[in-house]
Amino acid sequence: MLALAAALSGGAGFVLSPAMAKTFRVNVVADPAQMDPITYSEIVAGRILRNMYEGFTVITDDGRNVPALAEKWEPLTTGPGFRFHLRKGVKFHSGRPFTARDVKYTYEALLKPGGKGGLNATYLNIIVGAKELKDGQATELAGVKIVDDYTIELSFTKPDVLFPIYPIYYMDSGIVAELGADWMTKASAGTGPYKFKQWRRGVSVDLDANTSYWGGAPKIDGVSFMIVPNADTALSQYDAGELDFVDVYAAAVRRVLRDERYAKELIRVPRAQSTYLGMNQNLYAPFKDKRVREAISLSIDRNAMIRGLYGGAAFPLNGVVTPGMPGFNPNLPELKFDPERAKKLMAEAGYPGGKGLPPVDISSTEAFKDEITYYANQFNRVLGMPVNVKTVERATFIRAMNAGEVAFFPWGWTADYTDAAYYLSQMWYGPSPYNRPRWKNAEYDKLIDEALTVADDDKRYALYHKAEKVLLDDWGMAPVPMTASVALRKPNVKNVTLTPFGFSLFSKIEID
Amino acid sequence: MTAIDVSVAPPPSRPRFWRVFLRQRSAVIGGAIVLIVAIVALLSPWLAPHPYDATDLVNVWAPPDSVNWLGTDKLGRDILSRLIVGARTSLVVALSVLAITFLFGVTLGMVAGYFGGRVEAAIMRTADVTLAFPEVVFAILIAAMLGPGVSTIIIALALVWWPGVARLARSLVIVQKEELYVDAAILAGASPWHILRVHLLPNIVAPLIVRASVGVGFIIMAEATLSFLGLGVQEPTPSWGGMIRDGLPALRTDPMLACAGSAVLGVTIIGFNLLGDGLRDALDPRLHRS
Amino acid sequence: MLRFIVGRVVGLAPVLCAAIVATFIATRLLPGDPVAVMLSDHSADVQMAARLRAEYGLDKPLPEQFVRYIGDILTGDFGLSFRYVHMPVWQVLKDSLLISPLLALAALALALPVGALAGVQAAAHRNRFQDTAIIVVLVAGLSLPNFAIATFLVYLISVKLNLLPVAGWGTFRQAILPVVILAIPSAAYIARLTRTFMLEVMQQDFVRTARAKGLTNRLVIYRHAFRNTLVPLITSAGIIFGGLLSNTVVVETIFNIPGLGRLAIDSIFARDYPVAMAVVMLFVVFFALINLIVDTLYALVDPRVRDGAPA
Repeated sequence: MLALAAALSGGAGFVLSPAMAKTFRVNVVADPAQMDPITYSEIVAGRILRNMYEGFTVITDDGRNVPALAEKWEPLTTGPGFRFHLRKGVKFHSGRPFTARDVKYTYEALLKPGGKGGLNATYLNIIVGAKELKDGQATELAGVKIVDDYTIELSFTKPDVLFPIYPIYYMDSGIVAELGADWMTKASAGTGPYKFKQWRRGVSVDLDANTSYWGGAPKIDGVSFMIVPNADTALSQYDAGELDFVDVYAAAVRRVLRDERYAKELIRVPRAQSTYLGMNQNLYAPFKDKRVREAISLSIDRNAMIRGLYGGAAFPLNGVVTPGMPGFNPNLPELKFDPERAKKLMAEAGYPGGKGLPPVDISSTEAFKDEITYYANQFNRVLGMPVNVKTVERATFIRAMNAGEVAFFPWGWTADYTDAAYYLSQMWYGPSPYNRPRWKNAEYDKLIDEALTVADDDKRYALYHKAEKVLLDDWGMAPVPMTASVALRKPNVKNVTLTPFGFSLFSKIEID
Repeated sequence: MTAIDVSVAPPPSRPRFWRVFLRQRSAVIGGAIVLIVAIVALLSPWLAPHPYDATDLVNVWAPPDSVNWLGTDKLGRDILSRLIVGARTSLVVALSVLAITFLFGVTLGMVAGYFGGRVEAAIMRTADVTLAFPEVVFAILIAAMLGPGVSTIIIALALVWWPGVARLARSLVIVQKEELYVDAAILAGASPWHILRVHLLPNIVAPLIVRASVGVGFIIMAEATLSFLGLGVQEPTPSWGGMIRDGLPALRTDPMLACAGSAVLGVTIIGFNLLGDGLRDALDPRLHRS
Repeated sequence: MLRFIVGRVVGLAPVLCAAIVATFIATRLLPGDPVAVMLSDHSADVQMAARLRAEYGLDKPLPEQFVRYIGDILTGDFGLSFRYVHMPVWQVLKDSLLISPLLALAALALALPVGALAGVQAAAHRNRFQDTAIIVVLVAGLSLPNFAIATFLVYLISVKLNLLPVAGWGTFRQAILPVVILAIPSAAYIARLTRTFMLEVMQQDFVRTARAKGLTNRLVIYRHAFRNTLVPLITSAGIIFGGLLSNTVVVETIFNIPGLGRLAIDSIFARDYPVAMAVVMLFVVFFALINLIVDTLYALVDPRVRDGAPA
């Protein structure tokens, strides 16, 4: 057994990590796909990159967008577009200064063919010359004009008032020359409060504090994102003091909420995720009848779901826009559970007691297994609707949804930037492929088109509210409770929390 | 697959079988467990006190009481009813897998063993390739390929199991075909198929039965493992493995689901394994005490 | 002897080739599009999907993809991972490579002596209380799925008693629970095998003779009977090791160990074909290697194997 111990500690890449004095340790569910601000497109990488890279603006803990790398901006007078005034005195992790050249470099890296532009590249499609650059007909992005080191002008093909808040991370244009094409395995090229230290696959991604951060050096030495796929494991590690902050995955939420000793360490916020039950009228004929759609909504016992299914870790959602999101309408009426009225509506629609309804699959991914099991049983019990449960592999399912091939499904759409347009213009807008139930309404589309040209927030929000009401009045879908993000924070850790958009910024964390 | 399986002998006479079998306390216990599980599975629609799929979100994770004797799960469904119906799922999977593996495995193995040559080479090399894959990984690959569901599990496990059975059948036939009664049958002009079915099969059936009874335990466990890894049967159909998977995250607050599921699963597999051991001892006269 | 080993290695080649073809077909038949996985919720971005498809050669017909895959294997880097952007598969694998075999080996080293001892004890006290008790414990160890055992042990030892870390990988203490849990079913299996072999051996003439000569029971059991069960035990070590390797999938998932087993599951779920194929191939190679070693050992012990048909 001794020889074995030696073999064990010698051979398998065991890394003995001495406990660092002030490292903030938090869990993430999986390895990031990459540590590259250009190619990244998934949540885990996003959570980590956020601490190393910055955009023109940043989301504060209370959901506001405040200037970060851009100090201010104004619309161009010559046509759609903006002039941005960049923050002076900002240095990249390499020590090189952040200037307008880096902004242009970042855009071109995101767009150029053979480049690896991730999802954020889509936000740049409105810049003049983006298409030519993508197709290889141009080598530079025509719509970007460097006025001086700290001023840059962007011309758009059509107005987009939200451009300054789009999440784009600006990177060091000199990094490839310095470290080569695989620089992201060795260093980070951002301006953020932390810089890349190492990525131990399957174990952790470790960041060091950036002591020359323009917003003030962090008060801790570094951050470790521990890769913990299992909900229970993460919690046990927190209990054992191996994590300072634990993002509680859905599977362990109930246990955490019921455990007295966690009460003081608990953080619970609604997720910025618009959740709904989609009903595709093209695929299941009875959904064409508005009364059937309303009856579906009426037979969902939302309070029971919040208390029972989610163990209290959920919040009611009465529309499309989630609370905390700019453009949220707090005055929407509460959605009722009314089985009697639901039955009456079904009878009026010609399906008394479910008679004459063809069978339908309610489908989703493994993550929504409990929800669809409940819905199937509930619609069968209340409406007499013959509903089968079907769980589908995630990628297959998402593709089918995007193609409009799923009849009946619960889903959620998570916001990437803080404006209600993220939900309204993508999920229910006619031409959007993410309008997965394929609900169509000309009036709605017109309101959204109009809203996106209005720079004044309150006026824009008023148009959002109108559009949202059109959707709700038509029972285009049934809003369902949105789950809460739940986290635990050790009492000795300060200035870090959970927001509807994920972890708060880690720049001000203190550990006693 | 192992050396012990190859030990062959003509089956003992019936009274001696029972005498030896009944003398082993563990085998009798195993047999009793298997019998009970089988009866429960067979009568599950009548035995389950509640519908296994009736959700009740007001009453989730209820502790055991006079209505729900073992409490309820996270959708408020009666755990006892789901355990009872789950017995059927487990046994249907296990028996289907057994039926398929034995039908194909025994046939292919016997053919390979009897004819030898190229037929044997083709069959056994296929078996070798299959056996070259780690069982769990192979089953996961197939299950992922086919998507979750009862039929998926059955196919995945059958594909994993048949080569072992084929190897066993082949080795048994190779030993038996040297016996005089086979020569006699050949001389009498019997067709190979006839010899395999009428003469050889009865003489190798004892070790196959042993293998089957041990196999059931492993198949039930494999089904639970696939369910645990998220490739299990579709809701709302209950499966013990899936119930344990659902129960584990709640182990600290509501341990009943995971514990009851594990206990029933464990006892059932123990039952099959004890029965298998007992059968092995009773059917193999070389292990008899004189 | 050398000829025997060479023969066995050559015999492996068709198995490996078949395994390459089988894994390729199996992974391509998985439902779900790796590009859709890469794009996740945003998979309606047609332009980007097309670009990624071309970048990874997924737009080519299957035979061409297969040829490319063979090329990737021959160059030794196994191609690019789909999940870890622009990372060669080898890079993804190399940190995990030794973890699963080491876990399995450690568990085998633990299971062999414990199991053999229990098996001998059971056989020595056949049908008496000790026998029945040991059998029931063994069968239980063999019967309870290791995810259930793991949860109870973690709860008891790590959470309630706080004796060992809950999960992770990197220190010796973190390796204890996974190895023990991995070893339990194997120990039970070995014990059962040992018991059966012992019972068989003890019926044989030389043991009876030894007994008749008046040797003590203990001497007869260990010197004569147990020694003769060693050979079949060694041969089953291959099968046991294979089972252990398989089970690392479950144990690594529970204990969050970044080994091949977890990588296998993760990459299959993430539709990371190149990684999934490489991991499965590695498992096959480990399997083949261990069987080769066992067969060689067996051939050393028992000359009949060398001369006769391969086992």
